[in-house]
Amino acid sequence: MSERNTGVYLCSGCGIGEALNMDALEKVSKSEYKLEPKSHACLCSDEGVGMIRSDIEGGVNQVIVAACSARVMTDRFAFEPNTLIRADLREKVIWSHPAGDEDTQMLAEDYLRMALASAPKINPPTPWIEGEYSQRICVLGGGVTGLNAALEAAAVGHDVLLIERSDRLGGWAVDASKRLPHRPPYAQPEENNIADLVAKVQGEGKITVRMGVTVTRTAGMPGKFAVTLSDGAVEDVGAIVIATGWRPYEAEKLGHLGYGASPDVVTNVQFEAMLKEGRPTRKSDGKALKSVAFVQCAGSRDPAHLPYCSNTCCATSLKQALELIETDPTTNCFVIYEEMRTPGTAEELYRTAQSAGVIFIKGKVKAVGSDLTVTVADELVQEEIPLQGLDMVVLATGMVPNSTNTMLPSEAGENPQLHGDVDPEAPIKVAGYAGEAPPAHERREQVVYEGASLLNLQYRQGPHLPVLHDGFADSHYICFPYETRRSGIYTCGPVRRPMDWAEAEEDAQGAVMKAVQAVRSAAAGAALHPRVGDLSYPKIGLNQCTKCRRCTVECPFGAIDETEEGFPSVNSTRCRRCGTCMGACPVRTISFDNYSVESLVTQIKSVNIPDEFSGKPRLLLIACENDAVPALDMAGIKHNNWSAFVRVLPVRCLGSVSLLCVSEALLGGYDGVMLMGCKAGDDYQCHFVKGSAMAAERLGKIGETLKSMMLEPERVVQVEASIADADRLPKVIDGFVEQIMAIGFNPMKGF
Amino acid sequence: MSQAASPTPKQKYDLNFARWVYENVDGGDRMALCMQCGTCSGSCPIGTQMDYGPRKLFMMIRAGLKEKVLTSNTLWNCVSCYNCVVRCPRKVPVTYILHDLATLAVREGYAEATHSDNALFAKAFWWSATKYGRTDERLVTAKYYFAFGMSEGYKRGMANMKIALGMVRTKRMHIGMPHKVKETSELHKILAKAAEIEARNNNK
Repeated sequence: MSERNTGVYLCSGCGIGEALNMDALEKVSKSEYKLEPKSHACLCSDEGVGMIRSDIEGGVNQVIVAACSARVMTDRFAFEPNTLIRADLREKVIWSHPAGDEDTQMLAEDYLRMALASAPKINPPTPWIEGEYSQRICVLGGGVTGLNAALEAAAVGHDVLLIERSDRLGGWAVDASKRLPHRPPYAQPEENNIADLVAKVQGEGKITVRMGVTVTRTAGMPGKFAVTLSDGAVEDVGAIVIATGWRPYEAEKLGHLGYGASPDVVTNVQFEAMLKEGRPTRKSDGKALKSVAFVQCAGSRDPAHLPYCSNTCCATSLKQALELIETDPTTNCFVIYEEMRTPGTAEELYRTAQSAGVIFIKGKVKAVGSDLTVTVADELVQEEIPLQGLDMVVLATGMVPNSTNTMLPSEAGENPQLHGDVDPEAPIKVAGYAGEAPPAHERREQVVYEGASLLNLQYRQGPHLPVLHDGFADSHYICFPYETRRSGIYTCGPVRRPMDWAEAEEDAQGAVMKAVQAVRSAAAGAALHPRVGDLSYPKIGLNQCTKCRRCTVECPFGAIDETEEGFPSVNSTRCRRCGTCMGACPVRTISFDNYSVESLVTQIKSVNIPDEFSGKPRLLLIACENDAVPALDMAGIKHNNWSAFVRVLPVRCLGSVSLLCVSEALLGGYDGVMLMGCKAGDDYQCHFVKGSAMAAERLGKIGETLKSMMLEPERVVQVEASIADADRLPKVIDGFVEQIMAIGFNPMKGF
Repeated sequence: MSQAASPTPKQKYDLNFARWVYENVDGGDRMALCMQCGTCSGSCPIGTQMDYGPRKLFMMIRAGLKEKVLTSNTLWNCVSCYNCVVRCPRKVPVTYILHDLATLAVREGYAEATHSDNALFAKAFWWSATKYGRTDERLVTAKYYFAFGMSEGYKRGMANMKIALGMVRTKRMHIGMPHKVKETSELHKILAKAAEIEARNNNK
């Protein structure tokens, strides 16, 4: 890198000039950091930005802007490839603290100091780009979801490798009768057009279809995956879309609902196949069906079987009943339900079924006799009612995700940690946890799902994709759908959550868009969600590495493998740049070009700490930039005030916070440290899956350290923040300040 | 409503009565769309005075509990406030259905439908409305009281004498000729025509 030439720019617009003493701010830069600042009354104006640009032409290669929050005006203050450092004097200073106040002025000066001090530690990132990158997208699974995914990827210009383990395309849809309604007015079952879809895929030149094979090995990283197939072929692909779909819940386990007692007790999947062949008849004696009961939630929403709702079985039963009534309107169709769940437009099908005379009985099925007498505990009539004279009982079984390939045995020596290496449900206990502690709940049994891993990933963290507790391969289906905990590998369709055909179509499109982004970003050396476009990547100083393996274990995305000698080796395109490895490293030898333990500690140390006789405490608020910092910005926008004794240090993720940051702060005289980040636990909102959980775990161990420093453990807390907390956070912060004042000043001050 | 007798279910969830109601009762076709949400029962101002709320009554029809339905006081206690009709998310005209079921109960000769308090009051009300075109408080009350027999009627009348006098004093009830529409004979012709049309429709 050429000589560092830092330009400092102060903005006095938006009321900053009126609320703060700008001369004093300029003096901080001039006398403490020997950098001549330039002030402007509106830095984001053409004139202000023009001033910076002309300085860049004159040799400035690092820009410090002290104005508004780093989250706004990003299009104005964009000077790539020169590095940009932003100090927030607006949202977190003048909008959230009284104007013309001594403490507000000290706060503003400290934020400027933090920016100025970090400047020498921040370098422009050089992206990791090495060798060839594949733009091809691999789609695993040739059912409705996979076919749509393949077509979608081909439509945006990517070559596709479509892998199907059976010897035909189309999946379950091939054996199904009609489709659920998928177009207005959503009231009638629709024709099954799977044959058209298969033909379309076969006619698409960009799609290579491989049937009758499975994946035996997947090595590499986004842009450079090497997928080995069971016939020995090795294919290079850039990203992988998993569309392995679902299988029906084993009806053999539903003896209590009469399965097996009579051939006329069938599952919805079997009944669907019967409907496809024409109007079904009794399996036992071939007699016509005059009276059929559909038993909903057969094994679903039952803790002993599938604890979740499969979303589509209610609508499927309605469709099947309507198909029966269509061929013979006198057919008696009973739907026995606990709750009818017809999300979205399926409500229209429900109405059609009601109008057509389907009879709905709300209650639990107590027993199904071998003579097909169904005894229902009728919740609405409040009686136990035997339904007699039925010709067939259809059990609406749920969907089990194909997160593994159950047609193959599990690999030997398999990593049992299918759920990932941090149990997402384990209660997290933190010393001095502020606010309500998360409720403790029993840890679920760590289940190893049967079957072989879908991809057999050659990752340090095991061959499987980590799954959610019900076995669905996803990371967070509300905040980050399609993302798995392995970069460049996306799931869609019923392997992600139960869904019907039309939803799977949309889902396939979503996952393919992610995959396209993955292959293109990988080739540019840029990060994926949520730090999209970040060119930095973790660099490990191996001469200091103690081979402790904490980085390889703690990486939420399995990005770091181990070499044969036990050293960590980063697969850069797998990395999401959260910095959890950096926070984990006990010898602090992991850093990014523009983000390091050093750059954080420098900022912490740059703050002026008044002595205890001033009566002014100093608290450090280490805030996650994903939710906590924006929430604080919003608090500022709403002019919610909080204590001016607090200094906010934004970090990529709480996972990237090394304990050194906390101990350095306390040694430096801060009176308290608060870590503010996303929700950890089973319903985590951490954008990097387990960064905040890792921070909590590390913080849980800091109590001893604090004791040895003769400090109260209450001085260090972690709090959860969500994006909607603009009104709550100022109170939380002020509460913490009060708590610290009650404990008293840090005795380390002034040493 | 059809004059044909309604079928009686042979077992629970025998659908013959439910289907008859769907086809023959005013608003019965919409009743098929009832999804048992209970908004009607929750909205009913006198739901606590009913044997069963409308939601449960409809479910009982589906379950084939014909006798329990037609002997319940629900049909008679409805005050036609139309709260349920306005609020029903499936647009089921609950009030119409209850009234038609009451008519059915009378026609099929259920004792509860002809001899209960509510049924007798309804009869007295209908008598005044059709005879005079108006309801005359005094005559409706008298007719209702004496429907229980001479001595019971006298006893009830005397027990309420104080209230009656108070109402007279405040001009809430008048003494003298009953309230009437101008041309009662025209009203009777209208009613006769309506009965003729109904009979014609039923015989179709």
